[in-house]
Amino acid sequence: MSIMPALVIATFTTPEKISANPQSILWLLPLVAAIAIVYKATKVPEIKSANFLKEAMILTGSIVVFMFITALALCALAWLITE
Amino acid sequence: MTTARSKENRTIFMLIVGLLAWLVPGAGHLLVKEGKRAFIIFVTIVLTFCVGLYIGSIGVINPVGAKPWYVAQIMNSPMVAVLGHLATAADYSVFGRANEIGQIYTSIAGLLNLLCIVNAVYLAHLQKTETAGD
Repeated sequence: MSIMPALVIATFTTPEKISANPQSILWLLPLVAAIAIVYKATKVPEIKSANFLKEAMILTGSIVVFMFITALALCALAWLITE
Repeated sequence: MTTARSKENRTIFMLIVGLLAWLVPGAGHLLVKEGKRAFIIFVTIVLTFCVGLYIGSIGVINPVGAKPWYVAQIMNSPMVAVLGHLATAADYSVFGRANEIGQIYTSIAGLLNLLCIVNAVYLAHLQKTETAGD
């Protein structure tokens, strides 16, 4: 087997090393973008690149902000219970 | 008679659209002449699925030990079953955060494709209804 296909197969057969630290939460950002893009692709009546990108970015931002606020509220609740 | 036949044709067309949308993400939209949507859906879903496989390896597709995740993953395409068979046969086990993130990515990609399948079938229904109305 030549090197290139072997490398590609190896990429998908060995997992990445991701530590369980707070930075690993950043992996949610590409996923949120994917969700927003696909959702908007099914919802907008007509796809025009500038308008579509704007709508997808607004939805991505809204999801991230909402998750951030929820995380803050949960942290505050946990702090209230434990203190 | 004609109405019954057109109704039958519409049902068959919607079934084909749904099946194609499941086989290849975005293919259902392509069939209902929504090329731009089809391209966006295909690229986004395939990329999300591949990122999941890249992070967690094909071991994240586990039809035996992680059935609920597998149900969502198989919504991507029936070809996921082949990957699942490969992963089980060769024992590509994966644990920890990589497994979690890989499973989440591949399963969300599958659920997004389910949304697209439903949307493509709905668009096919609308198109056929409009054609019948003309």
